[in-house]
Amino acid sequence: MKLKGLLSSTTVADRLLLSILIVLSLSGIIFIKEVLPKGQTVKIDVDGHPLYLLPIEKDVKVSVEGPEGKTIVEIKDRKIRIAESPCLNRLCIKQGWIKRGAIVCLPNRVVVTVGDENDDERKKIVDAITG
Amino acid sequence: MQLQDKYRIALLSAYALGLHGFESLLPTPIPWLRLGLANIITLVTLLLYGIRSAMMVTLIRVMLASIFTGSFLGPAFILSLGGGVTSTLSMGFVLSLSPRLFSTIGLSVIGALFHNIVQLFLAYFLFIQRIEAILLIAPLIIFTGILTGTVNGVISDLLVKNLKNTDVKIQNWI
Repeated sequence: MKLKGLLSSTTVADRLLLSILIVLSLSGIIFIKEVLPKGQTVKIDVDGHPLYLLPIEKDVKVSVEGPEGKTIVEIKDRKIRIAESPCLNRLCIKQGWIKRGAIVCLPNRVVVTVGDENDDERKKIVDAITG
Repeated sequence: MQLQDKYRIALLSAYALGLHGFESLLPTPIPWLRLGLANIITLVTLLLYGIRSAMMVTLIRVMLASIFTGSFLGPAFILSLGGGVTSTLSMGFVLSLSPRLFSTIGLSVIGALFHNIVQLFLAYFLFIQRIEAILLIAPLIIFTGILTGTVNGVISDLLVKNLKNTDVKIQNWI
């Protein structure tokens, strides 16, 4: 098999098309995850009960009532923090802005988690297949 | 359509069917990855005998293959038919638009590309209906399609050149 003969049998348009397609598809493979909406949600639990399920895109301030008092959770620019808390050590406030993971305020029993919206759906699919 | 054309189409369809069947026996790392070997025959038919013969060969191949594998009128058949017809049409269209612009390899890549795009659209409209899932997988499918399309194009190129070199061979082959 002669590689040179093969190359000479391709036209300029061929090579252009091939290189454009390869660049496009490769960059697509790499960047498509960044472009797509993340679909993340912020879940706020108080005392083990889920109270709020909020989209991470929307900037809001939510106030929840725990055993110790009011905790204010703030979502801004896809980041989450606890703005105000009645607890003594204020560890939750000191944790600052988070993008993923969770903030836990034990004294006031408030748990804020950032999760994937599709998690539950995926579990459902598995259940549907196995069950 | 002359008798000789019918013989040709029948024989070419048989070749395409054989390759199609052979390909489905090959293990692939990813379930939906197919080599598209039958496209070699479609492309060679298109280059040697024109779009009508190529379309006939594609239709016969898709119909018979689905009947043999038991997926006639099923989801796999719809995807296969849509992909096969569009890929043949796109290659024929580009060839009739300007025969010298793309070589055999370029045509094969165009065919593979349209095959993949149409299958993705069909899969979206008929089966999956989740645009994120399709968008996520599309670049990967198109990339593998380009690779297999190039390989098929090289094979088709060699085949066409060898067949054109000697008229006697064409008589024997077909």
